[in-house]
Amino acid sequence: MRKFMPLLGLIALFITAPAWAAAEVGHPAPDFEAQTASGETFKLSDHKGEIVVLEWTNHECPFVMKHYGTGNMQKTQTAAREEGVTWVSIVSSAPGRQGNTSAEEALKIAQDAGADINAKILDESGEIGHLYDAKTTPHMFVIDANGMLAYAGAIDDQPSPNPKTVEGAHNYVLAAIKDLKTGRAVETPQTASYGCGVKY
Amino acid sequence: MHRLLLIALLPIMLLCSPSAQAQTKEKDDSLVKIRLLPERTNINPGEEFQIAIDQVIAEHWHTYWENPGDSGTPLRITWTLPQGWKAGPLLWPAPHKIPYEPLMNFGYENSATLLQSLKAPKNLPEGPIDLSADIEVLVCKEECIPEYAAYHLTLNDPQTTPEDNSAYIEMASAKIPVQSDWQATFTEENGNLVITTTPPEDIAGAIDPQSLEFFPREWGLIENTAKPKATIENNKLTISQTRGERPISAFKTAEIVLRYKANDGKDNALTLNALPNTKAPAADHPTSTARKKQSATQKPKLKTTQNISLLGAALFAILGGLILNLMPCVFPVLSIKALSLIKISEKHPALARLHGLSYTAGVIASFVIIAATLIALKSAGSEIGWGFQLQNPLMIGLLVYLLFLISLNLIGLFEVSGRFGNAGSKLAGKEGLTGSFFTGVLATLVATPCTAPFMAGALGFALLQPAAISLLIFALLGLGLALPYLVLSFIPALQKAMPKPGAWMDIFKQLLAFPMFAATIWLIWVLGMQTGADGIISILIGMALLSFAIWMLRHKPKDRFWRGLTTTLALISIFLAITSLPPKAMIVSMCEVKQSSLSQSFSPGKLETLLQGDDPVFVEMTAAWCITCKVNHAAALNIDSTRQLFEDNNVQYLIGDWTNEDPQITEFLDSYGRSGVPLYVYYPPRDAKTGQRAQEKILPQILTPGIVRDYIEGRK
Repeated sequence: MRKFMPLLGLIALFITAPAWAAAEVGHPAPDFEAQTASGETFKLSDHKGEIVVLEWTNHECPFVMKHYGTGNMQKTQTAAREEGVTWVSIVSSAPGRQGNTSAEEALKIAQDAGADINAKILDESGEIGHLYDAKTTPHMFVIDANGMLAYAGAIDDQPSPNPKTVEGAHNYVLAAIKDLKTGRAVETPQTASYGCGVKY
Repeated sequence: MHRLLLIALLPIMLLCSPSAQAQTKEKDDSLVKIRLLPERTNINPGEEFQIAIDQVIAEHWHTYWENPGDSGTPLRITWTLPQGWKAGPLLWPAPHKIPYEPLMNFGYENSATLLQSLKAPKNLPEGPIDLSADIEVLVCKEECIPEYAAYHLTLNDPQTTPEDNSAYIEMASAKIPVQSDWQATFTEENGNLVITTTPPEDIAGAIDPQSLEFFPREWGLIENTAKPKATIENNKLTISQTRGERPISAFKTAEIVLRYKANDGKDNALTLNALPNTKAPAADHPTSTARKKQSATQKPKLKTTQNISLLGAALFAILGGLILNLMPCVFPVLSIKALSLIKISEKHPALARLHGLSYTAGVIASFVIIAATLIALKSAGSEIGWGFQLQNPLMIGLLVYLLFLISLNLIGLFEVSGRFGNAGSKLAGKEGLTGSFFTGVLATLVATPCTAPFMAGALGFALLQPAAISLLIFALLGLGLALPYLVLSFIPALQKAMPKPGAWMDIFKQLLAFPMFAATIWLIWVLGMQTGADGIISILIGMALLSFAIWMLRHKPKDRFWRGLTTTLALISIFLAITSLPPKAMIVSMCEVKQSSLSQSFSPGKLETLLQGDDPVFVEMTAAWCITCKVNHAAALNIDSTRQLFEDNNVQYLIGDWTNEDPQITEFLDSYGRSGVPLYVYYPPRDAKTGQRAQEKILPQILTPGIVRDYIEGRK
């Protein structure tokens, strides 16, 4: 697989170049259609009228473990879904690389962690990841009811894998959802995402 | 794999025994071995010293720079320090690019030594001192592992032999990129970030452009995976790289680390502070309006300070002009003028009004001329602001002569008929009107150094307006300065309220020579700041020659030959006096910086670094020729109680000296909507809980210790 990395990188470059312009905050979020781990079809444009959160994840990444281990990610998911938000977790780990799992494993991981999500998508080819230029796990995207990308970046302001940093952190995703719900412009629409690199 | 996972899940706090003095043990199976090495283990009260944070990284693994690139996170250190201790910002060695397909990281392989300064309080107690630090470091290869450890240092331990690691610290600091003072700008062209800078000739000639790499300190400025293109032409270095995900206009400054190989194969690293290119070719009319629009988008902060209306600015301008009348160099000129007016109005009330008008015309005309020059220079691209004329030592020199001559005139050494300060009998004539006009010019000239309160806002506003409105504001400022005399000349009732003319007027006039002498001395001091002792000597010789010339002219003998000779000699000495003026600024010395160990001289990079730390920051913008600045500095800042206040609150104190032209300071003033000094800005400390800084605050133009305290202690 690693042999093909330069080739994949090249392809990625071609995909990301136009996609970079596409997945820009304040512009329409790129549409995609994919099969979820439970076998249904998820098409982003079917969810116009709802706020959609995309969460890039890799259950073996220490930063992801910080947020799931402390229950912070689950709490964020529940709080979002209580506001009517659709939450999609995406794994872009390539086969053979950290975080890559079968569909059953993926569902079990979500269930064991108590994840409160609408769908989990296994993006082995990295297509959706490159479409959004997802760099890290976690990397968060909030799409507003009109299909515009309203927030892209970190989940909070504590770029650390240390579980102690969860308490008192400022959650950018919940803040963006709150701003959208009250009809205000998102105060912080873009931050530097932090975490492990996505294992494309 | 599972072993690594376990480590990730169970961060083990490893404590080493306190007896281990300055040395520290590390986790045996950790991928990053960290040591903390103080410069010295014996520390004196008030001493500042460096601590090396030494990382030895397992083969094929890497840790991160302060901007980690596309993923990862930098090392974090949290000190637990005794009361009164201060920790400075972390200093990072120049990073390497670490590709992680398809991402790009910035960090270190094999080893890296960070530095941090610690400062002991002045009242450091005797005996051993325990310092401890929690360090959290992310180390990655294919996967990432966070490692945590706690470290202890014992300083001043009488039980152990003192250690000196200063050679080691010196080696480590050689790897920290040096702060360069090259002027640099950045702009966006066709989706690329383009940085232009002009290194000194010998360096520009030695850079191998192929080897050049650059690393922005902030995220989102460049597409990290893209390759930079660097070219050197005519000593100008241009670097271009695909821009990042944040709009270029979101950056007020771009601090970048440059790495390059010189022709001799040596590696070099330096830090560059690039400012937005305000002279971008994008605008089709490069006027001051285009400048204004551009800087408004680049610096959203501008809005708060600039939002005074035209009417408000007009009022402030008039008020500011009024207050200028009280400035020490303006006051004597005007008092004399006012006294002479009384004499005139007794006999010719209509003529008095004419004098008032021509004086006003003189003031307004000079203000408009200075403002027009300023606007023209600014639109031609000079980074200057109000008071720019005093940044030229030649101008200061001429002002010294002028004030000196006025003093000599006031004290009665010579009389100038029908010119400045005329109390003679000829002033009722027509030529007295020209005299009044030039008194106006003179009043403006001597008033310019004193940017009075209320004026700053109006001037800042004025300079960002279209030329016509700026000129209007400056004209109104002139009107304010001329107003008291104008009113006096038009209202006979006020003239009656003035003291009756008499012999006392001569004595009063002589008395007024002394504030004038004081103002002269002050300007000589300014000149000394600009040019050093050589400039002072030149100007003093010039003053002696001028006095000689005047003395000669006063004693004209009856004999034609001797009269010709004295006139010639007088003219020669005047010529010599003028040629002795120092032509250009030779040194920029900052005496405040030397006076107070607390303050550092301002640079945008230094400010940026301090703002990344947690401490509050106080910025003072001053100039030797600015009286308001000097008074504030002496009365409210450079005093024991304020020094103590700064120390207690860990306030980092930066002073910017605008005595000579400095585009970086002009840029800073601009970003707060100001065009002159003084400017005081306070950046509150980072909130321990949220990790955010509150909005910075601009202090008033006139400071008292109480005002400073209110801002620092957060009551304002």
